[in-house]
Amino acid sequence: MKALRKNVLLAALALVLAIGLAACGKEAGDATTPGGNGEGASSDKTIELTLWDQSVGSTDPSAQLIPEIVDEWNKANPHIQVKRTGTPGEQYKTKIKTALAANEAPDIFYGMGGGSFMQPYIENGNVLEITSYVTDEVKAKIKPGVLETLEYEEKLYTLPVYTHIANLYINTELFEKAGADIPTTYSELLDAVDKLRAAGITPAVIGEKDRWPGMYWFNIIALRQAGYDAVVEAFHNPSKWNSPDIIEAARKLQELANAGMFNDSLFSMSYEEMLGAYNAGNAAMMFQANWVNAGIEDPSSATSGKVVVVPFPVFEDGKGTAHEFLGGSSDGFYISANTKYPDEAYEFLLYLSEQLGTRGFLAGAGLPTWNTEGLDTSSLSQLDLTFAELMDTAEAFIPWWDNVFPASSADTHKNLIAQLLAGEITPEQFAERMAQLEPTELHL
Amino acid sequence: MDRVFSNKRDIAVFVGPTLLLFVAIVLVPIFVSSYYSLLDWNGIGNGKFIGLDNYVEMFTDSRALNSMKNSLLFAAASVFFQLPVSLLLALILASSVKGEGFYRTVYFIPVLISTVVIAQLWSKIYNADYGLLNTLLKTVGLPDLASDWLGQRKTALVASFIPILWQYVGYHMLLMYAGAKSISSEIIEAAKIDGASTIRTAFSVIIPLMKPVLKVSLVFSVIGALKIFDLIYVLTGGGPFFVTEVPSTLMYTTIFDTFRYGYGSAISVFIILECLVFTIVINKLFKTE
Repeated sequence: MKALRKNVLLAALALVLAIGLAACGKEAGDATTPGGNGEGASSDKTIELTLWDQSVGSTDPSAQLIPEIVDEWNKANPHIQVKRTGTPGEQYKTKIKTALAANEAPDIFYGMGGGSFMQPYIENGNVLEITSYVTDEVKAKIKPGVLETLEYEEKLYTLPVYTHIANLYINTELFEKAGADIPTTYSELLDAVDKLRAAGITPAVIGEKDRWPGMYWFNIIALRQAGYDAVVEAFHNPSKWNSPDIIEAARKLQELANAGMFNDSLFSMSYEEMLGAYNAGNAAMMFQANWVNAGIEDPSSATSGKVVVVPFPVFEDGKGTAHEFLGGSSDGFYISANTKYPDEAYEFLLYLSEQLGTRGFLAGAGLPTWNTEGLDTSSLSQLDLTFAELMDTAEAFIPWWDNVFPASSADTHKNLIAQLLAGEITPEQFAERMAQLEPTELHL
Repeated sequence: MDRVFSNKRDIAVFVGPTLLLFVAIVLVPIFVSSYYSLLDWNGIGNGKFIGLDNYVEMFTDSRALNSMKNSLLFAAASVFFQLPVSLLLALILASSVKGEGFYRTVYFIPVLISTVVIAQLWSKIYNADYGLLNTLLKTVGLPDLASDWLGQRKTALVASFIPILWQYVGYHMLLMYAGAKSISSEIIEAAKIDGASTIRTAFSVIIPLMKPVLKVSLVFSVIGALKIFDLIYVLTGGGPFFVTEVPSTLMYTTIFDTFRYGYGSAISVFIILECLVFTIVINKLFKTE
């Protein structure tokens, strides 16, 4: 009996520890900083670079392009072989964080742009600074103003690939069915919601189980209501979140929710399910970034050829304009500070960034940051072209706010918006709690 | 054989490797985690020693307290719903019903399926727009009962408990079934000859003799409930508004979404201690009886 009890105890203990995830701490690792001399690639020795990215999935153009580009590189550079591993988004975040913390990061890896994700690693020296590598020749190939937005304390750690902005997707077939007009102002938006509801159509879908899709709606509403300058100011000085404009923005989001703008199932719907529902023609509107274009235009989607994209409506009483966009941050690839071959890694980074940036644009993966003169854009869908046109009208960008805020404030911000959508807190309470978030610098 | 077991050096040779592994991958991480739980640390760089502040925060933060409450509720649900159902099934199967092997296999199938698959399965059953449950309710003329099961504050917690309870019924049934089968048929026959009914035999003879197995089941069931993670994570991610959050999902979001390794480690230490305490209490209860 006693032995059994002991066994049970031990077995139970072992089970408990199976989830002791927190225990995977940082390894002491290699104390010496390897590499730096770049001698590793003498022509008779083959070196291997590892690449991690988050581009997988059948409708993601990057998921096809990255392996292609890596293959071409490997053929052209037999002595510098790149080994690539793709991991889906949310798992990728966890994976790369763990690897960076354990000093086991791959030579080159994908990093989310916009500040809070890469910032701790840049500050901690996990990422190789590439400022001195970037020649004027390379700079001339990048669209003006783009590199500046990537600088962190005037140093470069990544090269641009392509960028994304969020706009309002309109399913014209459903709008026609309901007799609704494409909204350009807030009152027209409310009007369209009423007409769509009356026709039994869900006006818009949000996959709020993942919390960030709902955040996009609040972010653009706040940007339209308060205007770019006020939002940037509030990121620096959070007490400014408790302002009449932010309260009004929160009130407008609740007003839309109460008017039946969103699907009833928003809190159990994931982002993927949201795309599924929209592409199946189950909702008239969606506020998302251009990475969803490919799915909407896919021949198997009910929405193929029926969706147009417009800037989010402006507000009659708002300070924002239709030329201010949510998005514009460039995700990019970074080089680990621990790489043994920094020179070769940079060469590959340059090749990958430029190739993926231009070919990705042509494949509809994102908006261009490298010069596009002379490119044949006939392969682009109408949605992609509209996005590129809208991008040219842009005067200001603010990246997705969860990328701007420090991690724990970003989490709180998303939770507050979920509560706002559910009507669990008032706009005033929302603004008060926003004012308690941490201040941050706005990096693009 | 006896000589091997009485030789201390031989025992060390046999136990040593396992003990080393156990220490390296179980005990050491516990102590490392316990140390991290005293830090204010973002996972990289150096942490700041803040004493027991993380624990103070854990026991004053309504979100953390709510997650603990949820896991205790779930443990109670396991003990009062899952185990009785398992026991009933085990007793019926053990009483040599027709198709014993068939039913035993059927009830055990959910245990074999990966929890993530089960979570996906049930999230489709619960889906508000095209889910099986809502479609069924609408077909039988009860459209008012249809609801967004995992998205509503009222129903989300219970809806996420049900798949977990369902999944492990087969597991506990099998444990108990083995326990009931191992009871010598002479004892049961003796009870029958003495005129005991089937129910009387079950309560006065079989169940008391199954006590060791019941204890194991109880411990597994309670601890399984306290450390539940995967199903909740896939099904609801702890949402909506933390209604379905349990300590392990809170630990995960704390560490990987908000970079608070110290606070996350404090939660993991809490889970370990909580499970240990419950195991000891359950063992004590069975001893005094």
